[in-house]
Amino acid sequence: MKRFFSIGLVRGILGGTAGTGTGAGAVMLIRMAMGLPAWDEGQVWAAGIVAGVAGYLIALGLFNYWARWFVGARDRFEPNMPSRSWTRFLSVSTDHKTIGIQYLATALIFLPVAVALQLIARADLSKIGFSLNPETYTALISDHGIVMLFIVAIPAFAGLMNYFVPLQIGAKDMAFPRLNALSFWLVPAAGILMVTALGAGGFDTGWTIYPPLSVSYQPLGMNLVLIGAYLAGFSSILSAVNILTTVIKLRAPGMGIFRMPIFVWTAVSTTILSLLFTQFVSMALLFVLLERTLNMPFFGTAGGGQPLLYQYMFWFYSHPATYIFALPGLGIISEIIPVFARKPLFGYKAVALSSVGIAIGGTMVFGHHMFAAGIPALLRIPFMITTMLVAVPTGVKVFAWVATAWGGKLRMGSPLLFVLSAIVIFLIGGLTGVIQAVVPVNLYVHDTYWIVAHFHSVLFGGFLFPLMAGIYYWFPKMTGRRMSEGLGRAQWWLMTLGSALLILPMFVLGLDGLRRRTADYSNMDFRPLVIATAVGGFLIFLGLVVLFYNILRSRRKGAPAWDNPWEGRTLEWMTSSPPPYDNFPATPVVTGEPYDYGISSRPYADVTRSNPSKNR
Amino acid sequence: MDAYVSRDKTERGASRMGMIVFLASEVFLFGSLFFTYFYLKINTKPWPPEGVALDPKFAAINTGILLFGSLLVWAASRLVRRGRMAAVQAALFTASVLGFVFLGITGWEWRHESFRAWTNAYGSIFFTLTGFHALHVFGGAMLMLALAIRTRRGKYTFATHTGIEVGALYWHYVDFIWILVFTTLFFIR
Repeated sequence: MKRFFSIGLVRGILGGTAGTGTGAGAVMLIRMAMGLPAWDEGQVWAAGIVAGVAGYLIALGLFNYWARWFVGARDRFEPNMPSRSWTRFLSVSTDHKTIGIQYLATALIFLPVAVALQLIARADLSKIGFSLNPETYTALISDHGIVMLFIVAIPAFAGLMNYFVPLQIGAKDMAFPRLNALSFWLVPAAGILMVTALGAGGFDTGWTIYPPLSVSYQPLGMNLVLIGAYLAGFSSILSAVNILTTVIKLRAPGMGIFRMPIFVWTAVSTTILSLLFTQFVSMALLFVLLERTLNMPFFGTAGGGQPLLYQYMFWFYSHPATYIFALPGLGIISEIIPVFARKPLFGYKAVALSSVGIAIGGTMVFGHHMFAAGIPALLRIPFMITTMLVAVPTGVKVFAWVATAWGGKLRMGSPLLFVLSAIVIFLIGGLTGVIQAVVPVNLYVHDTYWIVAHFHSVLFGGFLFPLMAGIYYWFPKMTGRRMSEGLGRAQWWLMTLGSALLILPMFVLGLDGLRRRTADYSNMDFRPLVIATAVGGFLIFLGLVVLFYNILRSRRKGAPAWDNPWEGRTLEWMTSSPPPYDNFPATPVVTGEPYDYGISSRPYADVTRSNPSKNR
Repeated sequence: MDAYVSRDKTERGASRMGMIVFLASEVFLFGSLFFTYFYLKINTKPWPPEGVALDPKFAAINTGILLFGSLLVWAASRLVRRGRMAAVQAALFTASVLGFVFLGITGWEWRHESFRAWTNAYGSIFFTLTGFHALHVFGGAMLMLALAIRTRRGKYTFATHTGIEVGALYWHYVDFIWILVFTTLFFIR
């Protein structure tokens, strides 16, 4: 029993329950003291959930250190060797490698859930003999979207960045390990809130949560989603602070910025975006919550509010956010191609700087989401031009990938297969993005399946396939065992075919005028293509099942991977698999270039010599 | 001994950089609030709406209080380098108390405002903006209290006082934001 309670998650759940009761009770008491009826669904639950999350974090023990710091207590000895039992993933750990796996596992648990929500909706739309009511349909697709973005996409890449950024820059850990733990533990709470929202009435605004629909007529589920998204945003800000500081301050001696691996460059670009712009979406979501619970009319026109204000604040974040989801993926592609082509990365500096270019350009294009929303016509043209310009740094990357692979002797491992699919799908998404940036085209395709097809191809090419490639590429480093190549290929076939079936018909459907987020359609000509998208989604789901089987099987029975199964040059391959607690036997000293495959026998870094004078 | 000092150096670098990066994010937090304020202002005539009468008297007193607190914290971060720990402790403690006085005056002012958060959009952004700032003052006052306690417990010396330097950065930032809030609310009509 004592061992059971030593698991952090168990204490966290108990603390969360206690906190919820306390918060809800406190609000009811305050309301009674003010002479109001004690029960107000919105306010009582909102306070209960916020206090519940606080209780959960306190019970997990995340604030123990800071509480002792506050009163100046003597530093307690913190054991720095984590237990090897799998239960360590259920408790607070400050080791960046454990946290990285915690992030990845959370994302991979919520990924099939979010896919399944959409599959139910797809089955309904295929008209195969069962039908949902429209509210349920929109609740399912809305939850699919928001869970995918906040609980799958961001945490999955946060996991890979947590694990591999410190390794790739030769650091022992992140700059702030305790903050790192805090940012992780917010994510499961947010995910659970977002999924239970379906049980609390759901919400049917789409993942964008536009007012005035979101501030009126919505059941309690909307509040849960708002609080969940706020927590997820908080988590990604804290983790951005951590990753940026780590890269700025903890690079190994000799690693100038133009010797950093591309994945680190993209991590920096991503974290700059999420560091700054998440504040805007968090505030917009908070405004919606305040308007719903305390009747503060930010958006309601009756009180002098402005509905469009939300869209500005939302897209000011959410456009850069599409790059937050995609940039680390582009980094993974850039990592894998040179290793599997055995050639230097073509145009290293251009690829590195294009990440920053995408980040900067991506902040100036948000208006293109609002061409149909009645923004001043004057603003449309500049936003159209900037949107098209973002294609340039992205094109630089694609060109460099192709040029790297060109003439190389490609080793067709499963990481590379996923990368190749990713490039093709990302290209489709990128090119259609330029097409729909043109204002008249945009007005025509706005809110149709064309848009859905566009952003799914960007996210498949920029997030899903690179994530899979990253998992296959780095799994040997994380576990010391290789994944099954045959299962990897099976998954690749399933997911590539599934993506084609899912995405391509949607472009046609969109041009033919089928609108997104509608639970029904009367023109039966749409039906075959709608069924094709459903089949595509199902194949992707099957691919995920194969992935899980492969992970669980290979964790125990996979062939031993040793330190460097892919013969990579970057620092993470210069230590054991999995790496020891302090990552490297000695502080690495970087003396070469990261991607000099085949042209230089000089290694990238020396990790063996002891290095007493850290002259930085 | 040598190893000890160099480790402290990297750690101080990381904490300072971490605070700077965090404050960059905080600039965008208040940026989003100011954006809301001006967006509503541009789209609402008249602004502030009728029935809103603001008296800058208490806010002006509050400005003085925060500026004096900032001065004390600055003095603390100078004095600590000379090892005058008793003075450092007094300065930090006073700064913390001033922070709480600021919160008290703000709360009193809120009660006597002619409008409420749910009256109109102006009330909403007014209370959200001042509320978020008050939350940051609360955080800062607690931080100064912690630093005062830690100074008393002998956690800082003339050579190792990263916490005080980093805390001072935060406190100056909160002050700076107040100047912006104060001018925006009371002088940019």
